[in-house]
Amino acid sequence: MDNQRLDFAEFYRTSRDECLRTVLVSVGDQDTAQELVAEAFARACASWRTVGRHPAPAAWVVRTALNANISRWRRRRREVSMRDPGVAADLPTISAASASPVDPRIMAALMRLPARQRQVVALRLILDLDTNRTAEMLGITPNTVMAHMGRALAALRGDLMPERQKESPS
Amino acid sequence: MNDNELITAVRESVTGVHMTIPEEQIVRRSRTIRARRRIPAAAGTLAVAAGAALAVTALVPSGHQPGHPVSARLAAWTVARQASGDIDITINQLQNPAGLQSTLRADGLPVNVSFSGAPLSTSCQPYDTSRDVLGAVVQLSSSSGSASFVVDPSALPSGTGVSIYDNPGGGVPPSSPSAQGTGSPPPAGITGPVSFGLVYASQQCTG
Repeated sequence: MDNQRLDFAEFYRTSRDECLRTVLVSVGDQDTAQELVAEAFARACASWRTVGRHPAPAAWVVRTALNANISRWRRRRREVSMRDPGVAADLPTISAASASPVDPRIMAALMRLPARQRQVVALRLILDLDTNRTAEMLGITPNTVMAHMGRALAALRGDLMPERQKESPS
Repeated sequence: MNDNELITAVRESVTGVHMTIPEEQIVRRSRTIRARRRIPAAAGTLAVAAGAALAVTALVPSGHQPGHPVSARLAAWTVARQASGDIDITINQLQNPAGLQSTLRADGLPVNVSFSGAPLSTSCQPYDTSRDVLGAVVQLSSSSGSASFVVDPSALPSGTGVSIYDNPGGGVPPSSPSAQGTGSPPPAGITGPVSFGLVYASQQCTG
């Protein structure tokens, strides 16, 4: 096995789970996320000479997987009526039938976030990208990333707050 | 719930999720992707095989006995272009540099080949670079009197080609009188039975 192959094998071993978790938070369905991430890793392997030199190869994989998801939704647009094609790609495909080892309450709260906030949460918290790298990946400014993050955390906090805390005495 | 607790909860919510697709499956898929991108490389590989056959023929003495198996004699060199675009070169004997040069040029590599101390054309100018850059272009290994290389044409700096020669003095020359600057020494070549260096690409030098 040559060095390039060994290098990719190590990258796959150390990054596959965090990439899958990041894409899962964005798309909401584990089977779909795994399919997208597998294809993205295959493309990374095919271009490893270039991707291996990227400053954040895991971010490259996630971006490729999310772009592939956009392509899937664009192909399905004729079959499904979409209110706004611009956000169609980010609509979560929650699969109730698939047994997923995720916290269902938190996942449901994440899926209730607007698409962009969900992407920021995924990249910042799961993939652990910094604000600047997240901004660069999403094509928005760092300030916008911070704003989305703040709103997302506020919404999640409100959604996940224990019931008894909601009944605070006046 | 403060922000830290919330962030921890979000992160821990997916820690049970794992990728179940084995690496071998990913690599198999990547080969399909590469094959779709590199269809012209297949034609290059066929052309290279023909070049290697010519090299074998050139080694056979004109008076060789019928029945003497050509396959028992090693080819002077072999070249194989991979689907990735890399070019594998094995040099067993320092013969037929013109054939090696034309075969490599047919594969799209700007190259000048000279063996047995033949002077390099004065139209070839050495390209000064670091060993790191040269190492990205050529990976060298030698065994049992053969020299094997893997050349990555995509790693060549723009406007350059490769010089292959069998001793430091016989290939890339020291700075020519027409060179600008202070007469820099020839670029550090990767040495072994044969050596590599970089030169400025031109029609006269690298084809």
